[in-house]
Order: sequence, then C-alpha cells, then structure tokens
Amino acid sequence: MTLVRDDAVDETSTIANWLTSEWLTIRVQIALGIFFVIAALPKIVDPPSFAHMIYNYRIVPGPLVNIMALTMPWVELLCGLALILGIWKEAARTLIAAMLIVFIIAIGVNLARGNAIDCGCFDPNPKPKTREQRIDDMTFVIYRDLGMLLMVAQLWWAERARRRLDDAA
Amino acid sequence: MNWKKHVLEGLTLVVAGVLCAVIANAVAARERKLTLVGTYPNALKAPVQAPTQAPAPEPRPALGGAPVSSPAPAPVTQKRAGQDTGAPPKPAAPRPTVTPKTPPAADPLARFTPHPDKPSVEIGYAEVKALHDGGALVLDARRTSIYEQGHIAGARPFSVWESDVDEKVTRLFDERGDPREQAKPIVIYCSGGDCEDSHMLAQKLWGIQFNNVYVYKDGFPDWQARGGAVRSGTNP
Repeated sequence: MTLVRDDAVDETSTIANWLTSEWLTIRVQIALGIFFVIAALPKIVDPPSFAHMIYNYRIVPGPLVNIMALTMPWVELLCGLALILGIWKEAARTLIAAMLIVFIIAIGVNLARGNAIDCGCFDPNPKPKTREQRIDDMTFVIYRDLGMLLMVAQLWWAERARRRLDDAA
Repeated sequence: MNWKKHVLEGLTLVVAGVLCAVIANAVAARERKLTLVGTYPNALKAPVQAPTQAPAPEPRPALGGAPVSSPAPAPVTQKRAGQDTGAPPKPAAPRPTVTPKTPPAADPLARFTPHPDKPSVEIGYAEVKALHDGGALVLDARRTSIYEQGHIAGARPFSVWESDVDEKVTRLFDERGDPREQAKPIVIYCSGGDCEDSHMLAQKLWGIQFNNVYVYKDGFPDWQARGGAVRSGTNP
C-alpha cells in the first residue's frame, strides 16, 4: 500500500513539475499573448463597430460605451505584447485575468437574460447569424474564456513554484 | 512579490493603452473615429427578445401593413423611443379617418403626415417605395463602408456609429430650417432584423425637431430582395 501511495505521489509530483515547467510556461505565456494581440487588432482598426458590439451587451452605461471601445483593445494589445515579450508579465497576466472575468460575466449575464448577441471578441463585424447560432457561440465563448483563465492560472502557479524554489535556494 | 511594483506596472499598461487609444482616435479617418463620450440612452435597457422558435412567415399582411383595401399608409408598428426592434411587430392601429375613394392628390407624400408624439413609425416596403418614388429623403444608418457596397438609390450615408453623425444631423437641420420642411417625411433604414441603428438615428432626428420620420423595418436586405433601385459607391 505504501509503495502504491508513494508511486501516486511521485506521479502527481511529476505532473505538477511538468505543469509548472519553464517549457510549458513560456509556451502558454506566448500563446495567451498572441490570443490577445489577435483579438485586439480588428477592434483597434474599427472602433465604431466595436462600440456597437459593446452597446449590444446592454450592461455598459451610454457615456462609457465609446471610451471602452477605444481603450479596451489597446489595453488588450499592450498586455498581449507584454506577455509575448516577457516584460511586466505579472501585471499583464493580472489585467488579462481581470478582462477575462469581465468578459465571462458580460456574456453570462446576456445568456441568462436571453439576449443573443455577437461577442465581438475577435471580430467586431461578424456575419449575420440566427439567434440560436448566437446563443451557441456565446456558450462556446464562455468555455473558451474559461480555458484562457486556466492558462493564466498556469502562469500564476508556475511563477509561484519558481519563487518557492528561489527562496529555498 | 513586490505588490507596489506590480500595481504600478499594471497602471502603466492601462494608462499607455488609454493614451494610444486617444492618439489613434485623433488621427483616425472620419468613418473610424468615435466621440469620446457617446450618447446612447438605451445602453442599459435589456432588449425584449423574440421567441426562441424560428420565426414563422408572418400571417399578417405585409409590414406596410395598411388594410388591403385602404391606400393609406397607416403606421404599422408604433415604436416607443429606443424600443428594441427584436420585439414582434404589433398590428397596425386602424386609423379612424375614412379612406378616400378618390386617388390621392398630386403630392404622393401628402398621406405621410407628421407624428410629433413619437420619434418614428415603422413601415414596410410598399410605403418606402412610395416615399422613395415621391422623392422623400432616405437616410442609410449603416456604417459608411457598408453603404458604399450598396444602398438604396438616392440614400445618404448617416451612420449612427461614426463620429460625424451629429454634424450631419445638424447640417440636415440647417438644410431644412423651415418647420414645413421639417415636417416632410424622412425614411431611415439599416440592415433589418434586429438592427436598431435606424431607431437610434430617428431618435436623434426627433430630438432636433424632425417629426415625420419613418423606419424601414426590414431594411436594405428586403429592399434588395424586392428589386428596389440600388446604387453603390460613395455618392447617393
């Protein structure tokens, strides 16, 4: 029994080591950065369309719609670039986590009230869709954003593990 | 972890983002520019959703909806300010007036009377066609880039999402300074369906004294499908 438990502990430890490894962390960090850069660019190019998308959520007060449409893509872009380049990683990671949580809540609220909208996450000029297609897309977007939150969690966990090792050394 | 440094870096990223946004907006082309503070009165109003089932063909007469025997273009759908367009259309409120048997007088637009109590009245293809043929002003509330791909012949671009919309509305008011001119019918359209840009523009026009505005409920796709005159490019 003891041997089995030791094996299990070793296995868990191996998985944990792999999940916090430099190899994985750098890839997750760059992938997350690329996601945010790709998401930001079309919105930076066409702020009025993105303002329209934000308006459709019906949760942002009117005077803030345009300000949000103008600034949010740039913050996404800078955070994405920071992750890709490895500069100010912790701050970028925190901002990205905050934005993802806001996106999930925003989509969730609209799903709950049955307001079928295009998320406008990667394309502020989406093709016309039926209500059902939009609802399906919104559900997918929530899962996708949760997946990205897991990526942020991996970065945070790896950073913590690295600090522990540094402190122990 | 150095929290102070962490927060400072985060704030720097946000401030840098805001600065980039302001500068980019300042140098952006007119159709890609936004006013910093938008005016969207219904931004927090949750829209009323259509039923989840696929919409069945309307059993009612066309949205232009006046009774078949009546030539009058009675407003079919009455719209409250900023009401969501996803709501199912309400049946036409029959007008108490007696429909004249004789053909209308020389002015084909005379039957489209002002309605100062509401920003707009939704109409269908038949009414829009009559107004268009009668020379009424037609405004396209979609984005300029979409307008250029194809629009109702003679329509002017008036995108509500572009920064110069207020300027255009003011210019229109200057063009039609006389109250009689302001009472002339104006048709607004966008992409139909749940597009509410037309209503947003109608609200703006109503706010500046235009009291005879009609919203083409089914919008450009319907106009195109029914073979209405279409033009592309930057000119009306």
